[in-house]
Amino acid sequence: MFQGSNNGISTTTSYKVVLPFYVYAALAFLIATVFLVLNTGDIIKHYFHPYTLAITHMMTLGWGTMIILGASHQLVPVFIEGRLFSNKLAYTSFILAAIGIPLLVYGFYSFNMGWPARCGGELVIAAIISYLINIMMSMVKSKTESVHAVFVFTAVLWLLITASVGLLLIYNFQYHFLPDDSIDYLPLHAHLGIAGWFLLLIIGVGSRLIPMFLISKYNNVKLLWWVYGFINGGLLIFIFIFLHKSNRQFYLAPLLLIALGIFLFGRFCYRAYKERIRKKVDEPVKMSLLSVVMMILPIVFIFFIILLLMLTASENIRLIIAYGFVLFFGWITAIILGMTFKTLPFIVWNKVYHHLAGKQKTPNPKDLFNASVFKWMSLSFIAGFTLFVCAVLLKISFMLKPAAALLLITAFLYNWNLLKLVFHKPALL
Amino acid sequence: MNVITNDNIRSTIALAALQNVIDPEIGLNVVDLGLIYQLDFDEAEKKLYCNMTLTTQFCPMGESITDAAQEALQGAFPDYEIKIQLTFDPPWRHDKISEEGRKFLNR
Repeated sequence: MFQGSNNGISTTTSYKVVLPFYVYAALAFLIATVFLVLNTGDIIKHYFHPYTLAITHMMTLGWGTMIILGASHQLVPVFIEGRLFSNKLAYTSFILAAIGIPLLVYGFYSFNMGWPARCGGELVIAAIISYLINIMMSMVKSKTESVHAVFVFTAVLWLLITASVGLLLIYNFQYHFLPDDSIDYLPLHAHLGIAGWFLLLIIGVGSRLIPMFLISKYNNVKLLWWVYGFINGGLLIFIFIFLHKSNRQFYLAPLLLIALGIFLFGRFCYRAYKERIRKKVDEPVKMSLLSVVMMILPIVFIFFIILLLMLTASENIRLIIAYGFVLFFGWITAIILGMTFKTLPFIVWNKVYHHLAGKQKTPNPKDLFNASVFKWMSLSFIAGFTLFVCAVLLKISFMLKPAAALLLITAFLYNWNLLKLVFHKPALL
Repeated sequence: MNVITNDNIRSTIALAALQNVIDPEIGLNVVDLGLIYQLDFDEAEKKLYCNMTLTTQFCPMGESITDAAQEALQGAFPDYEIKIQLTFDPPWRHDKISEEGRKFLNR
């Protein structure tokens, strides 16, 4: 009579695995914005300044990567319709990265490429390998093929390559075994991480979550495969051009491919938005959609960076700093600010109210954080981000500190709301 | 909503009880969301089989939703043993949402 079974439940990843990543990332964001306020003047001097390197790695690893690792331990089982292979590997990833990241950041901050930076880099790579094994084994054990999981897996491979190149650059400081100085390889290291890790991962996860949260009828797996092909193809061409030291105008080819991938993903999100069943879009999803729109900015900036390199053969440092800023403090931060308050409330709700489901009236997950604090956080983020980018590009020095202070407020409000969620106690209605 | 059943009268009571089970993300009850596929009453064994689905397999809220459905049905039929059975064949689709559900989501 019935073909059903209880497969598909009772196998979601434990909150104990996920929450440490979220808390760590939130604190890293707070520390990064404190750095930004204290060292604003130094940070905009050059992208190879020790403080700029420190803050960039705090943002990319401590903030972006840690929260993505945490959330993906919860989300990958949804994508592959199977369970996470190992909680122990997830804890291992957390511990290794949690120790490695501060060591690495300290190494950059003090510009000491000795043992702290090396050891930090090695621990981060070990954390990535642990995560990669976990994701790979989870996918192997699942019978479901998922384009989203392939995006995630490929992104982690790029992350491993990015981190390995980064560690090579640290060693190259002392031993000079590479043909060029470490600074010359920074564009390679940075863009492997930006396009290979963050872009692929955010598209892979976003293309599943955005239609899901909008309750949209739209889905287009074929289009996502095209996006996958364009971005990976663009990256491979970029590596080839970079390693062969080809003319700078050739960089427009991979840029075009990656921009096309981003455009198609933007179109995917737009169609999902237009074909949504739930008309009301909540604030966290709005913030996530804003981050999709913000993907235009780095494309425009990098286009002008390449154009100026072609025309003048010299770097426009301010434009490069602004480019990095719109990526890490803009696009990546916006999607995390939004998605945290779409994913974490469910994890906490399950932890606190799961056993009461159906027995008593319980609050909704969206009621577990303060909506007005979220609104103020969003406003301070948009204001701080816009001011900072304008101040860098237009050389308005006095505007930098207030802009950084607004981002510090954003981080503070984010932490406040996140900790309120994490330490939520049962409130029965 | 097209719920298959072998007992129309009892299934009306069961569905009324299940309308109190809300998907926490969507805010809509599992009946109007179209998650309930089949309700079968085994009078001899005093068992109620509820065949249902989730909007997404491995949905993080899945266990909470099925537990809540179990509780709701047990409350409505205290003499019956409730058997919740999950199926993803056929998978849930948007067209399973009832007219009332669509009105709710269109607000």
